[in-house]
Amino acid sequence: MTALKLIPHLVAWTLMVLLLLRGFPGRGRGVTLWAVAGFAVGTAGYVLLSRMLPVKIPLEIIRATVGVSFFLLWVVSVGALYRSTVRDFPLFGVQRLMASPFAAWLSAVAAGLVAGGICASRLPGIEGAAAQLLAPLLLALTGALLVFAARGAERRLTSSLTIPPSSLLGALVALLLFSSSSILLLDLFSPLSMKVMKGIHDFVHQFMESILIPDHLFIRPPIWRAIGLLFGKEVGFWGGLVIWFTPAILLLLAVQLEPLPSVAQIRQGAQRRRVQAAAITTKRYRLVIPLLALTILGMAVYQSSFPNVEYWDPKPLTITASPGGELFIPRKGEVPLDDGKLHKYLYKGGGKEVRFFVLTSPDGKLTVDLDACAICKPDGYGQAEGMVICYYCKTLIPLETVGKPGGCNPVPVPFTEREDGVHLDAVTLVNSWSQTVQATIRTGKEMGK
Amino acid sequence: MGSMIIETEGLTRSYGDICALKPLNLEVPEGEWLSVMGHSGSGKSTLLNLIGGLDRPTAGTLKVGGEELLGRDEDGLARYRREFVGIIFQQHHLVPYLTAVENVMLAQYFHSVPDEAEARTALERVGLGHRLKNRPSELSGGEQQRVCIARAIINSPRLLLGDEPTGNLDHKSTVMVLELLRELRLEERFTIIMVTHNQEVAAWGDRTIYLDDGLLVREERSSR
Repeated sequence: MTALKLIPHLVAWTLMVLLLLRGFPGRGRGVTLWAVAGFAVGTAGYVLLSRMLPVKIPLEIIRATVGVSFFLLWVVSVGALYRSTVRDFPLFGVQRLMASPFAAWLSAVAAGLVAGGICASRLPGIEGAAAQLLAPLLLALTGALLVFAARGAERRLTSSLTIPPSSLLGALVALLLFSSSSILLLDLFSPLSMKVMKGIHDFVHQFMESILIPDHLFIRPPIWRAIGLLFGKEVGFWGGLVIWFTPAILLLLAVQLEPLPSVAQIRQGAQRRRVQAAAITTKRYRLVIPLLALTILGMAVYQSSFPNVEYWDPKPLTITASPGGELFIPRKGEVPLDDGKLHKYLYKGGGKEVRFFVLTSPDGKLTVDLDACAICKPDGYGQAEGMVICYYCKTLIPLETVGKPGGCNPVPVPFTEREDGVHLDAVTLVNSWSQTVQATIRTGKEMGK
Repeated sequence: MGSMIIETEGLTRSYGDICALKPLNLEVPEGEWLSVMGHSGSGKSTLLNLIGGLDRPTAGTLKVGGEELLGRDEDGLARYRREFVGIIFQQHHLVPYLTAVENVMLAQYFHSVPDEAEARTALERVGLGHRLKNRPSELSGGEQQRVCIARAIINSPRLLLGDEPTGNLDHKSTVMVLELLRELRLEERFTIIMVTHNQEVAAWGDRTIYLDDGLLVREERSSR
């Protein structure tokens, strides 16, 4: 099962090496060596760090690195587009640097470090010192073998396929994003969409508060509906897509807009046309890598939107209130409440259907929360890989912070914990739902959600 | 005359039991106009197809510009035909629904990229500046053949092959086409190998070889 999970990451790694080899022609030996070293160190580094520190920290390091590389890609793609339209654009020695062996080695080792780390994060927690050592060792060995396989494959590629540095960076970053998008804690697309959604949400609110969008009868429902669209997650998704794909599209445009070499000095027509045709062919081949990057980024979006993760999301148990208006959940029911999993319940009262859950956090603290937050539509929460996830905006919430109010956290509900179990007041529960969750739905309806 | 553009040794082409071209040793210097004569079925077109890379021999060697042609794969042969050879056929083989200039541009397209201005100039060189937009059906036989010449030379070939290019033309048109070829050869310095069964046409060349039943039987220098 672990091997299956590793396959996409290892394929991405092989492709990265293949592109590096082609992107730095004549540096095959150096790229191979540094790629193998980078992957091995990345694997070992992740394993060591995850044992010494909370697992979240090495994952955060990888995520931050991939995020920075994406930002770098943005800068490079804008520069590439600008350069394609301006002759004699100053490169400040970048070309000389890219032609040096140092650039090839650095790229190979950096890609190897991140790819090795990502692959290592997929290794299962195995019991026993020998097994714990063997799994990363096998992974590093596989990574090294794939480097040599990539070297063999690269030799079979047509010599017409050349990769300029900007396209190489585009493809490498796309592969890293693809590789990380299948891991909840490394995925960047969902958080990006969420940031866009919340950014737009806050921006519109600022407008409302500054009365640039007056809450007046003059604002008719169709206008509210249009404004309401800005609050949906779809805006975040499409906005995220724009940010996500723009660098690759800019790289494509940069290649497309690159001027053909001047042939005015060639007297013979056939020779002139042959030079032109060769330049056009080269240009077409140069489009291959940005197109590949675009495809890989698309695959990353798909993985992010439909993660291959089985969420723990039990069907809510319907409970009823006592004549005194109290809801009781026994501590030792069919399923004990202290198993660290979400226990979902449904209460129908006061004309409402209130969903809530009980969760015991890893530090043993029990919490009762609505199955909804105060910001998003109440699509509810699921649980996976030590986190709780908001289905609507894909925000990941660490189990330790569930029970604290604010942001996309589930709305906490007052309760009493006793020896026998959890006691709640039905009216307080319904009011809490009405005041927070239903408020977001009402706002949504008013605004055309 | 410079170095040899064509060198064959024991060049043979058989179709089953029929030997269309018997072992042929031939050398053609660069820039020569070679006429190939013979009766129908004597192996003239077979020889031309082999030199043009349209067919592969059964045995023997064929060097073009010092390079062995038979070692090339299909892509290599296509590149050879595209960049090295221009061919003029008796039946013209012009695309009927394209204009004269488009027919010439089609050859440019398969060679590299089309360039209309250059195609127009080529047609003007063969005296068809006023017929650029006419389709083949709107041109006389002689005019069609001149379009074929423009098409054949547009990619600056080193070798121009003609398979009875004047076979369907009247005397006046024949002379016009041959004069045009002679003029272009002087300007472009390409080699011409022209198959014909007309002694008068063959005499336009520097040298004539005679094939009979696939065998080279005689050769003579032109006094022209």
